Amino acid sequence: MEVVEKKQDGICILTLSGRLDANSSEEFREKILQLIEDGTKKVILDCENLDYISSAGLRVVLEATKEIKRNEGKIMLCALQDYIKEVFEVAKFDAFLPIGGSVEEAIKTF
Amino acid sequence: MTNQVTTFADDQEQPERILLVDDNPTNLQVLFQTLEGRGYNLLVAKDGETAISIAIKALPELILLDIMMPGIDGYEVCRRLKNDPTTKEIPIIFLSALGETKDKVRGLDLGAVDYISKPFQAEEVIARVNTHITIDRLRREVQAQKDALERELEVVAKVQYDLLPKRLPEIKGMKLSAYYKTSRYAGGDYYDIIELPDERWGFMVADAEGHSTPAAVRMAMTCALLRGYPGAASDPDEVLKDLNRTLCEVVGMSFITAIFAIYDGRDNSLRIVKAGHMDPLLYRPSKGETVEIPCEGTYAMGIEQYDEVPVTEIRLQSGDRLLFYTDGFSERFNPEGEMYGLERLSQQLSKDHGGNPKEILDTIVDDAERFAKGLPADDDQALLLCVVE
Repeated sequence: MEVVEKKQDGICILTLSGRLDANSSEEFREKILQLIEDGTKKVILDCENLDYISSAGLRVVLEATKEIKRNEGKIMLCALQDYIKEVFEVAKFDAFLPIGGSVEEAIKTF
Repeated sequence: MTNQVTTFADDQEQPERILLVDDNPTNLQVLFQTLEGRGYNLLVAKDGETAISIAIKALPELILLDIMMPGIDGYEVCRRLKNDPTTKEIPIIFLSALGETKDKVRGLDLGAVDYISKPFQAEEVIARVNTHITIDRLRREVQAQKDALERELEVVAKVQYDLLPKRLPEIKGMKLSAYYKTSRYAGGDYYDIIELPDERWGFMVADAEGHSTPAAVRMAMTCALLRGYPGAASDPDEVLKDLNRTLCEVVGMSFITAIFAIYDGRDNSLRIVKAGHMDPLLYRPSKGETVEIPCEGTYAMGIEQYDEVPVTEIRLQSGDRLLFYTDGFSERFNPEGEMYGLERLSQQLSKDHGGNPKEILDTIVDDAERFAKGLPADDDQALLLCVVE
């Protein structure tokens, strides 16, 4: 998996590509938790090129969501492929974190 | 009187043993003197046959092997040792006056780790020996750790199997079959059937996120909470809420997806609750196809308390096949990176199996195995099938 980080309008945009699974989730976890620890309060996960997410990946997203909420911040998920969207819907994770359309829309609504 | 002494390997480091093989006594002596006093135990052999028998008995950590010898030559010694599972891991360094590239390549092709040309410089021999001894020591350490980890995973997997129902209960008007397989990482899948008063039964299929011991502990917690559930467990949503309440206190940053259903044999009703899990599949003979039973459900257990848990109620009919499963089964990958998927699973459930649940599951499992083409599963797999008579 590859993660590209950029800042726009005070929002940290992480572009994920590849597979967020048991192999890659630990490194991603460290990265995103570090960002939150450093005071990042607005995070967009651009999932357009994310091909697969396993339960280990879901756990990291959940942990990051809980962590950022404690700092009164927010994570938004954007541009999910149908399969990934389905995984989040089955898991009912849409109850905790906003799942949006495009990155541009998300930036506007943040 | 004879005393039998058995020695066990311990953590105390033993000096590495190096077997030196050369038919020329002078060469052998020079080699011996070169490596003497460097912290190694040295063994010697003057011909190929002796070298092989010492290697098999002593299993040295390194062999320095001359090529040109009467009888079986160094190449043949190397070939035989590499073909024997007990000696194939021993690193071999060829030592020979044959200095041509093709001779070196031939030796390395046979599985040797290095090649030293004669006449050799003492410093070069020492340096190469030290390097290969270190590489081999690290290789053995990595292997030992890998073995220890695999043993631990086996123990974890055994704990998981022990928690499953020893045999499936006899339910009036319904036949059951289950399939369970832990992955190479030992995940946290779980299935169970609990008997309730008044011809009612509770079916549980759950998947604790993560692998190895943490997942197995969460699975065991879920099992203990369900089996020890106080009272009559008449409402599936109450059961799930209560399980979740305790799991939220102990699970930490993880979760357990679950599907739980209460079947009432008196009116064939099935009341389903779902926590972040896949919908169950239903094959109904009158419809001739398999569909998902859409259950609204809630998020996985262990995250936050539930306010309300939506219950989905259906009425089962004769011939219905109801399948609860975990994503380890439906999300099995093949070497081409394709996923087994719901469609294939549904097709297999719809096949004409003659109604025997064991045979139905065998067909489904065989199909998934064929699809995976030998690629091991990344995740645990659990299937629980109920066939209404």
